[in-house]
Amino acid sequence: MYRYDEIDDTLVRERVEEFRGQVAARIKGDLTEDQFKPLRLMNGVYLQLHAYMLRVAIPYGVLSSDQLRMLAHVARTYDRGYGHFTTRQNIQYNWPRLVDIPEILDQLASVEMHAIQTSGNCIRNTTTDPFAGAAADEVSDPRPWCELIRQWSTLHPEFTYLPRKFKIAVTGAKADRAAIGVHDIGLRLVAGENGDIGFEVHAGGGQGRTPRVAVKLRDFVGQRDLLAYLTAILRVYNLAGRRDNMYKARIKILVESMGADAFTEAVEDEFARLKNGPLTIPVEEIERVAAHFLPPAADPRPVAKSADPAFLRWKAHNVKPHKVDGLRSVVVSLKPTGKTPGDASAGQMDALADLADRYGLSEIRVTKEQNLVLPHVAAADLADLHAVLAGLELATPNAGLASDIVSCPGLDYCNLANARSIPLAQAISKRLAETGLDEPAGELTIKISGCINACGHHHVANIGLLGVDKKGEEVYQLTVGGVADGQSAVGKILGPGFTADSAVEAVLTVVRVFTERRTGAETFIETLGRIGADPFKEAVYAD
Amino acid sequence: MQIEATCETARSAEAPQVLALPPDAILEDIANEIAGVERIDIHFPSFKDGRGFSLAARLRERGFEGELRAVGNLIPDQARLLKRAGFDRVAPDQSGQAERWNAALTAFSGDYQPAEDKTEPAFARRARKTRAALADALNADYADRPAREVLAAALDRFKGRIAVLSSFGAESAAGLAMIAEIAPDTPVFFLDTERHFAQTLDYRDALVKRLGLTNVKILRADRDEAAAEDADGQLWRRDSDACCALRKVRPLARALAGYDALITGRKRYHGGVRETLEPFEFDGVRIKVNPLAGWSREDVQAVFEKLDLPAHPMVEQGYVSIGCWPCTAPASPANVRDGRWRGQDKTECGIHQPLAAGGQGGPLL
Repeated sequence: MYRYDEIDDTLVRERVEEFRGQVAARIKGDLTEDQFKPLRLMNGVYLQLHAYMLRVAIPYGVLSSDQLRMLAHVARTYDRGYGHFTTRQNIQYNWPRLVDIPEILDQLASVEMHAIQTSGNCIRNTTTDPFAGAAADEVSDPRPWCELIRQWSTLHPEFTYLPRKFKIAVTGAKADRAAIGVHDIGLRLVAGENGDIGFEVHAGGGQGRTPRVAVKLRDFVGQRDLLAYLTAILRVYNLAGRRDNMYKARIKILVESMGADAFTEAVEDEFARLKNGPLTIPVEEIERVAAHFLPPAADPRPVAKSADPAFLRWKAHNVKPHKVDGLRSVVVSLKPTGKTPGDASAGQMDALADLADRYGLSEIRVTKEQNLVLPHVAAADLADLHAVLAGLELATPNAGLASDIVSCPGLDYCNLANARSIPLAQAISKRLAETGLDEPAGELTIKISGCINACGHHHVANIGLLGVDKKGEEVYQLTVGGVADGQSAVGKILGPGFTADSAVEAVLTVVRVFTERRTGAETFIETLGRIGADPFKEAVYAD
Repeated sequence: MQIEATCETARSAEAPQVLALPPDAILEDIANEIAGVERIDIHFPSFKDGRGFSLAARLRERGFEGELRAVGNLIPDQARLLKRAGFDRVAPDQSGQAERWNAALTAFSGDYQPAEDKTEPAFARRARKTRAALADALNADYADRPAREVLAAALDRFKGRIAVLSSFGAESAAGLAMIAEIAPDTPVFFLDTERHFAQTLDYRDALVKRLGLTNVKILRADRDEAAAEDADGQLWRRDSDACCALRKVRPLARALAGYDALITGRKRYHGGVRETLEPFEFDGVRIKVNPLAGWSREDVQAVFEKLDLPAHPMVEQGYVSIGCWPCTAPASPANVRDGRWRGQDKTECGIHQPLAAGGQGGPLL
């Protein structure tokens, strides 16, 4: 993985000192709350319902074991002993004190971590495939490009006060596991005509209250031109994006109002001026960054056959193919039955860091599904690893299944939320276990957002729940048919809303109808396409 | 960057040479108003409204060299971003925070992005070090190797980002023949100063055909620049350096954008600054490859004879180094550069001068 050089290290430490000064200025009264707010947000500090919340960046979801131990230390020392992994591959702490935050950031800097631009109207953490550098279907490793984008976007002189937040996703594999269709910019690594690797560029996607699938701007941008092309897109957006209405300020609204063709033309015009200029990435820098992401060595050790049903079930769902012989990627589920999706205790984090050292080349990934991944594990070690994970309550065999529920923090923590999300996730998870529907349903996505900002990605769930406030009551809308990865699609509302309890049963009913009506190995989307929404609707609204 | 105590004066001073721009200004629509303006004030209605940063960067990129002032609701924490976006002055609504403004200017010692303050971004700083080390390493490996090996190594190492610079002069055919043999599609730049001897142009065309070079690029001065700087075509008489800059240095700099290495035909025996020439040379921006650095006049002659290469028609008239007709004279084979800019202190046109890192407006590397 990437390691800081002196330049990176200095910048992050200077940033800590800058924020320390800003906190002092706020306390002294030199900064008003209105002035302080965007500054604290760009250092990951939110004011939530009960306390400040700190969101720490996990750049493109990649962690070393030492970094995970530091996250455990922060959870134990400054929070209530746990952290919450988010749908944007970051981690949040819900209970730190403002005065402690500069010190937390200082400690994070010691392991090459920061909270820079994890909030605010700026370019956020770039996200990617959690199996990057390991996936068997990878065209090219996206991580070097994520790191180059991270550096370019950090403290950008032009793009720190954008109309609204800005999210970039990169995928390097044939199967898109980064949901590039629902990001402000989505990049797909592709091979060009002469075999050179470059980028297919999409822009204008997003979730929130106006979900849109991105439009393709270009089939191919050369590697060295990437930053010039991104600058062109951001510049058009920064100048022309709406600032009068925060709900219409995302780039998706601009792309839609200008029209894809006019927007593309404006970007191309700007790019023509920037191309071959100072933003051209030197080949040496591409080589330098890429050298941090070399593939691991093959592991030729023989694999003993196991007959343990628990192990086999876990292996079937949580173990993924690897591009290197003798290696596998392991999904560590943070979705045990009835628990909060994405939460990990300090003890679990420490234990997993040790397991990563022992079995996984000291590397851990965070997924947008709020799980963790050990990307490089020897097939020969899987059984041993499984045994230890099971003892830590980290071996739930449900990666990609219905009970692998994604949920935002909701009204339990968030001051934007209209409704609770976590208790519904917990209840659905329990009911799936009780009814035994999890396994027969196969791969199926359920995602819950407590408000229209859609942090729980409900729009792109096969089955989505959205909490809304209806005259003081928490009401849930049920959507079906959303897809996050690959051919992104936005789910459609099935019918009238539900109370919390009936929403849980409605989700169960949809899963049950699917298991009854699917033929062969159909996915939920295929069955829905074949039979339409009516059979689901009739069953859900029957009583 | 200058911090003004208050913006009161800014708002009242509507001198004709000052243009006040709202944040939604569209540069394409006001191009005429900008011409000749000494200062542009860009208004920030709120410190959260970042359009002014892009406006400033765009103005600078499009060549505005006057003063840029940020006016309005700005906070000290933005000082460094404003400076990097191209502002020279700031006149904030809220006065009395000079200390915080100045502290914010120096809060960071380095930057990731290239910007209008023209500091070297991290990627360029790293790559410059790597490239300098690469030149040293290549020299250690190839110092005593034959020209052909040096050339082959360079063409391979910098594939797709290397070009050749040729004057199609007295000695050029020897090196070009070698390139034609290894990689005939290598871009060959020829600076057409429109002051060349007719014989040079004929010789160029004949040689390209004979050697089978397939990618010759003719570079000329920018039309507008030439009209402005050399309307009567006599610039060479008044200021030969300015003429070289217009017709050679700048056209080459533009053409080299995207190239990381340039092959030249320079040789140590040419004398002057060339006496210490090594096969690989880092000029602060790119690698110059001088495969023939160690060759003598006799070595060149031997290749001409062996390959039966045609000689430049002016060689037999006593020209040993051939440039533009106004500034080239015959010279003694012992001091080949003596015939160039005769009577002046000048022996080089400037295209081979080392560049400051980040100079020339092209890619930083």
